[in-house]
Amino acid sequence: MSGLRIEGCTVAFGGLRAIDNVTLAIPEGTITALIGPNGSGKSTFVNMVSGQIPPAAGRILLGGGAITGLRPDRIVHRGLARTYQVPKVPKELTIEEVISVPLRYARSDRPLPPGVRSAADLARYCGLRPAGGTRCGQLSVSDLRRLEIARALACRPDVLLLDESMAGLSLEDTEQVIALVREIHAAGVTVLVIEHVMRIIATLCRHAIVLNQGRLLAEGEPQRVLTDPDVREAYLGKGFTL
Amino acid sequence: MTTAAVLQAVILSLTVAALYAAVAAGLTLTVGVTRIINFAHGEFVMLGAFLTYGLHTRWGVSPWLGMAASGVALGLLSALVYRLFLARVLKQDEHNQLLATLGLSILLLNIAVILWSPDPRVMQAPALLPPLRLGPVTVPGNNVAVALVGLLLFLAMLWIKNHTRYGTQMRFASDDPELALHAGINVDRVFELSFVIGGAAAGVSGGLVALVLYVQPSVGVDLVIRAFAIIALGGLGNIPGALMGAAILALVEGLVSTFVPQGGSWGFGVAFLLLLLVLIVRPSGLFGKQVQA
Amino acid sequence: MNAAGMNILVLRLGFYVAVAAPFVAVALAEHAFLVQVAIGIAVSAILALAWDILSRTGQVSLGHAAFFGMGGYGSALLTPVLGPVLGWIAGLLLCGAVAVLLGAVTLRLRRLYFTIATLSFSLSIQVFILVTPDLTGGSTGIMPPVLAGGSPPHQLLFITGCLVAAAAVSDVFLGSRFRPAFFMIRNNPHLAAASGVPVTRLKILAFAVSGMVAGLAGACYAGLYGYVIPDDVFTTNWNVLPLAVTILGGMDTTLGPVVGAVALRLLEEVARHFVGGVGYQVVYGAVIILFIVGMPAGLVGFARGLLRRRKATERPDGAKARLAS
Repeated sequence: MSGLRIEGCTVAFGGLRAIDNVTLAIPEGTITALIGPNGSGKSTFVNMVSGQIPPAAGRILLGGGAITGLRPDRIVHRGLARTYQVPKVPKELTIEEVISVPLRYARSDRPLPPGVRSAADLARYCGLRPAGGTRCGQLSVSDLRRLEIARALACRPDVLLLDESMAGLSLEDTEQVIALVREIHAAGVTVLVIEHVMRIIATLCRHAIVLNQGRLLAEGEPQRVLTDPDVREAYLGKGFTL
Repeated sequence: MTTAAVLQAVILSLTVAALYAAVAAGLTLTVGVTRIINFAHGEFVMLGAFLTYGLHTRWGVSPWLGMAASGVALGLLSALVYRLFLARVLKQDEHNQLLATLGLSILLLNIAVILWSPDPRVMQAPALLPPLRLGPVTVPGNNVAVALVGLLLFLAMLWIKNHTRYGTQMRFASDDPELALHAGINVDRVFELSFVIGGAAAGVSGGLVALVLYVQPSVGVDLVIRAFAIIALGGLGNIPGALMGAAILALVEGLVSTFVPQGGSWGFGVAFLLLLLVLIVRPSGLFGKQVQA
Repeated sequence: MNAAGMNILVLRLGFYVAVAAPFVAVALAEHAFLVQVAIGIAVSAILALAWDILSRTGQVSLGHAAFFGMGGYGSALLTPVLGPVLGWIAGLLLCGAVAVLLGAVTLRLRRLYFTIATLSFSLSIQVFILVTPDLTGGSTGIMPPVLAGGSPPHQLLFITGCLVAAAAVSDVFLGSRFRPAFFMIRNNPHLAAASGVPVTRLKILAFAVSGMVAGLAGACYAGLYGYVIPDDVFTTNWNVLPLAVTILGGMDTTLGPVVGAVALRLLEEVARHFVGGVGYQVVYGAVIILFIVGMPAGLVGFARGLLRRRKATERPDGAKARLAS
């Protein structure tokens, strides 16, 4: 089966199990939400799937093939790309130069989004203005997030993990990024959105996965998952916004 | 080769190990807290050695007092270096931080060469403690003193880190400087303090160097390489690991220099090979927990 | 090749000519003292370029004396066996191979360990030479074939050629293929890996190339007088000099190490005047500290920054002028 499958994966730091025997599937062609309170293991999940912290146990399948234990750059080549929430990019590089790195080093045998030919095109596709050789040191937070999405898209992924790409953005910026995610999805990319804000998830996703204390708490349609009593309890007092 | 000769080599090595451990513990305290790899730590030790040596040969000041004076002097120098220099470098990326402390190390080393020439010298001091007889082996009094003070210094670092209010703040500030700021901890001050304590420890270690090693400008580089090898053996930021690392390094070195022909010149080679071996077999250090590379 | 590519190529060649011109002029003038100074500067510049290529990936080497020395010893010992061309190539390949081995062990780790490993490696290899007199001549040294028949102006011309070659290699690693990837590796290796970059492999590549270029500098140096002892080429001076030269001139550039080699040589003369033969390296330390704190981009980077700022202030005026007309 295609898409992304996690089978019985565990990540432990010392005695703490940040991911505890998680099994779940992200079906091909969906926009899926991964939610959970702070410290529930969402970031560790992304780090695990992208190969930064390999799981101590379990299997990760991408498009039916195992990617468990592969180096992060090999996983990118297999078709999985991720963004970083607070990306630390070299401030002396320009937007185009950053995007050019995956264009050159990631796989090249898949199409870029329609109408996109170059790093500059991809920057514009994600709502950035690459003209004038803007250096990354001068970018705002919202532009850095767009740059991360552009960089990840330049990996030509089948599956894209967006790590809180909309956190802390203005309403207008959020709307634009939501539209961008829809466009990326329409171009045939399976998207996993890691988010805090429930409103975004409810409008964007058909499928939601809830992690709590490293375990899978609930899975299903966002509306149903969000009204689940267990989920409510996990979030209680944690700034639950619907 | 007699058992006594082996025993003698082992015991003398262990006294040197205490010195290595003291140097490494001072270094690991600052590296562990500020994440600044202070390459000039070895030169701080070297300056302490020259100070103790100078005070004794010029004015007959007891090395005990010399050690204490070196500790105070190097602590003050560390504070100066931190304020004038490191506080600015902390704002730059890790690459430039490393380069900056390398520059400091080169600067101090060569100032010492200009002031005192590169020649090695020996401090002619009466033994600080009576020699210790252990069966067939006699440990010279100065080695006993080095072992004692070195261990004390080492334990002091351990105690500061784990059992004082500053230690708690240091660990907090190092784990998450931003969060620590929010919690009302003056991160800059905590960093400075850890740097000053590390510097003072380097100064006292320098006094120990004057007791059992040649006093020369290059002694700082010698020791800092060993200290890093020890930290690698023990795992970064792991103070008890540093003690084990020091013992292993000093033992291997001592045995090689006693029993291998021309072994004395192999000092660096031994430290380097040991370091490589550890890096190959267990990159996180023999006693370290798994850390992100 | 399109017109833009042609333009860049012409600019590049012009740059190399400009770099080589002063050295060639000195060689042609045959001024004995200046020729010696220029040879020293060119050798320093090659070694500094080698160091900088590696530094762009965030790896600080404190052991380039090892590669400098191995290049000198390797080429010297292999030339009688393989002839001058193959002997030099084999000597440089030896440097590259050692860099790959050392890099494979240390480059996966925190950069600190790499620095320590290179420093202790360079100190260990000195010991290795001393204890293997049959293979390497031990402390008495070796007698490499002398370069260019021992004529200093000819030697300078040859070494200038090597400098241009090193500059060309440096430029390859400042091109679009490597520069962004190297800077990303230095700044955030996780981000580089998440962009499909084989991080460790590129670091090892940079180290191997860096080691070979440093070996080239050492081979040039060893061939100057036909006589080399370990203390000439394996001394800490060659570990520290490339840092000072590059930081002074400007890291991450090809021009920086060349400018830095000239400027540092001047400073060194001043220092030697005041403190004599020992301790002149105090200048290296002072330069590194002052520039990292006050001008981290170095002389070349600072000048470029000024130029860029001037352009930026000119541009709005130009736009206004166009609007007005």
